[in-house]
Amino acid sequence: MSRAMKDRLIWAVTFLVMLIICLPGLWVVLSAFRTNGEILTKPAVWIPQNLTLDNFRAIFGLGENVLAIPVGSYFLNSLVISVTSTVLAVVIGMSGGYAFARHRFPGKSGAFLWLMLSRTVPGIALSLPLFILWSWIGLIDTKLGVIVVYTAINVPFTVWLTEGFFRQVPRDLSEAAQIDGCTPWQAFWKVEFPLARSGIASAGIFAFLTSWNEYALASQLTRSTDSKTLPVGLMDFTAQFTIDWAGMCAMAVIIIIPALILTFLVQKHLIAGLTFGGVKG
Amino acid sequence: MTRFRRYARDHAVPLALLSPAVLVILLVVLLPLLFSFYTSFSNYRLIRPDSLWDWVGFRNYARVLGDGDFWSAFGRTVLFLTVALNLEMLLGLGLALMVNRITWGQRTMRTIMMFPMMFSPILVGFQFKYLFNDTIGLVNNALQSLGLASEPIPFLVDRWLAFAAISFAEIWMSTSIFAILILAGLFAMPKDPIEAARVDGCSNWQVFRHITLPFLMPFIYIAMTIRSLDVARAYDIVDVMTGGGPAGRTELLWTLIARTAYDDARMGRANAMAYFSILLSIFFTWFFFRKLMAARRHLGAF
Amino acid sequence: MAEVTLRKIVKSYGALEVVHGIDLDIAHNEFVVLVGPSGCGKSTTLRMIAGLEEVSGGEIAIGGRVVNTLPPRARNISMVFQNYALYPHMTVRENLGFSLKIAGRPPAEIDKATDEAAAILGLADYMDRTPGELSGGQRQRVAMGRAIVRHPDVFLFDEPLSNLDAKLRTQMRVEIKKLHQKVKTTIVYVTHDQVEAMTLADRIVIMKDGHIVQTGTPLEVFERPANTFVATFIGSPPMNLVDGVVAGGAVRFAGDVSLPVPPAFRGRVQEGQRVTYGFRADNLMPAGHAMTGIGETAEIDLTIALAEPLGAETILLSELAGVEIQGKMYNPRPVAAGERLSCLLALDHAHLFDAETGASLRT
Repeated sequence: MSRAMKDRLIWAVTFLVMLIICLPGLWVVLSAFRTNGEILTKPAVWIPQNLTLDNFRAIFGLGENVLAIPVGSYFLNSLVISVTSTVLAVVIGMSGGYAFARHRFPGKSGAFLWLMLSRTVPGIALSLPLFILWSWIGLIDTKLGVIVVYTAINVPFTVWLTEGFFRQVPRDLSEAAQIDGCTPWQAFWKVEFPLARSGIASAGIFAFLTSWNEYALASQLTRSTDSKTLPVGLMDFTAQFTIDWAGMCAMAVIIIIPALILTFLVQKHLIAGLTFGGVKG
Repeated sequence: MTRFRRYARDHAVPLALLSPAVLVILLVVLLPLLFSFYTSFSNYRLIRPDSLWDWVGFRNYARVLGDGDFWSAFGRTVLFLTVALNLEMLLGLGLALMVNRITWGQRTMRTIMMFPMMFSPILVGFQFKYLFNDTIGLVNNALQSLGLASEPIPFLVDRWLAFAAISFAEIWMSTSIFAILILAGLFAMPKDPIEAARVDGCSNWQVFRHITLPFLMPFIYIAMTIRSLDVARAYDIVDVMTGGGPAGRTELLWTLIARTAYDDARMGRANAMAYFSILLSIFFTWFFFRKLMAARRHLGAF
Repeated sequence: MAEVTLRKIVKSYGALEVVHGIDLDIAHNEFVVLVGPSGCGKSTTLRMIAGLEEVSGGEIAIGGRVVNTLPPRARNISMVFQNYALYPHMTVRENLGFSLKIAGRPPAEIDKATDEAAAILGLADYMDRTPGELSGGQRQRVAMGRAIVRHPDVFLFDEPLSNLDAKLRTQMRVEIKKLHQKVKTTIVYVTHDQVEAMTLADRIVIMKDGHIVQTGTPLEVFERPANTFVATFIGSPPMNLVDGVVAGGAVRFAGDVSLPVPPAFRGRVQEGQRVTYGFRADNLMPAGHAMTGIGETAEIDLTIALAEPLGAETILLSELAGVEIQGKMYNPRPVAAGERLSCLLALDHAHLFDAETGASLRT
């Protein structure tokens, strides 16, 4: 086989894989604009006859048919919980990551390993004691309760990512700044932070996505519209007697859009962060 | 005590910087785990709060170990992880190598490759529940429209088909992590050793086997480590796709824990099971972390 | 006035002591170079003066004020780092003006000071570029500019030229020397390169294993090395060293060769004492190709193993008592390997060291 033929073949196979990656998502998006009637028709209707925004209207209570599921509240809950826990996780992670990147202390590698291992605890296993403890102290079914938990599960990752980025900033820059008259605190904010900023931003977006997408813990720790997040809300649809496929698809689109935008914003930094965090020890 | 004091004084700054991270993890992970460790030795049921003080020793563990449902869920989980991780790694490696060779449209392909990473596992589960549905699913519709199947195939009902469907969803979701990190490794790879090997008379396969692959190993292990940190998120997928059913045919360790704890309200026994799942996760992470360290040392020369 | 005084300075990391009680007085406006092989404690000492490393013991004073516990910003020093440590997210102008901005000076004053520094170092054309857009030499200049902008009491240089190529290094060496003449300031300069030390220093401090081995002007340490370490570390090629025994006003080597005790050492050695005889290649010259006015000489016949013509002179490799030695032929003629030459050794420039300790027997 000639080289050009081989290249073309590889391209075709890759394209096919990409199609498999894209197709399910696209199908869901398409279904979000169709009516349930069309989705349920047998034999299948392949070409959509009429596209509609009714599903979205229903979700936000704007159309004639109002949905029983308060997606608007869920969206707001998700937003508040994800943003707050992300900010906390980034601040805490930055502090810890800086300690790991810049300071030497006995027990450092052990501490790092334990931090990472704390992330391995399956959400469902962690949800059992948290469910009980949180009900005792009144954090169950509150946004605060979920925020605290999400902060903790994001900290290991933000520590890891920021540590990698701070290590990329040469140590002598901070020293030069201190000789130039900065306090260590000023040296951090004026020199090291701006240089690690893109990395810190991607750590933040990673944390946001984790919080935004989390289900196992939230499904046990939230109960009502006060605190339920979008992924938990999605399951509301299946609890009904007949599944509202089109409604679910519309909600899926709502969940995926913020994640989509954020991921594209940081894809480059994200890979860099994960890679040199691991390869260069 | 004095030793601890001296340690605290000598390393006051890093300790202060680390303390928020340690504190929040103590509060949200370690403390609850200690509590659940205790309850795993009690007969705690959610509906009878005073049963928390009902100490039963190792009875929960004995029951769990003697429970056929637990062992089949455990075995299914290990099988599921083994199949999924291996296929994800192989497919990711293949995909990365292909994308690395492509020049036309490579950036777009790379971006598309990241697509599944941003999906919430619950969405992935829903997406494939929808696709594999026996009456309205895309797959069944397509098979029937093309005349490949006359009857709807019960993807989410049959024992093995459901296992395959869940594995497919899991692999769809996680292959891209491998592909992306391995591709980053390919981009970072120095050209000299490859050229030197070609001059030394290596075939394409030999170059891949002896130069490219060893260089990629740390990247593969990073992906494995990141992946194994979060193996349990398959719970979300299964929960939405089949809920462990029908009749426990797709029960994984994690769905079994949830059912025991919340549906049967047997917290004590669920916590005993949870410790098995924690050990499983730690084992996977530790295993790949060790490999990563070894591969890194091995690569010191690069 | 900014003299720098080190009193019994000790640095240890846990149980490991790396600097063992150094004493050093640096005068106002003096250019002092700390030189030594890597790991000798010179950089650590400099960083202790800067305040970047804690002092484990002893006292550091700048301008009469003890600074042991002061943070770097309170010491009024500036430092040029080995890797320049330019702030990559700032332009050259911002880099230069950073210290003044931190000090809260008015913008007009900052502009004036940065323009001044830029003029001194020829940076005026690059003011709006970032460090990433500069060449190695330009970055070096910016690093120096950043140091001079704030008129510090003391300049610290930490191997500033080691990342430059040979040609640029020579060029920047000259600029640093000129800079010192322009902005009279106390300078402490660390390097492992003895040529840099010789050319730049008012006074050289040679360090080894956390101790100061010798302090003196470049010529002093070159002509009167305190021990064999300094003798081989300073000067290129390194001093020839041959072990022997004092016997009747001469030093006898293996193979029945002997050389007279150099004049400066007569009366300082005893019969039968084991010594190391040292002389530089510059002072071992084939007869007829020597410098004139070299005082008392001794004659030895040498078989040439290898000749390295450098143009103005030729380095000759030979062997004395089983030890490889080097000589120099001035106004050279071609020399073939194996040729036997009668050579003159200028005894005024020869040295004797204790064979055991390596210390000079001059005092």
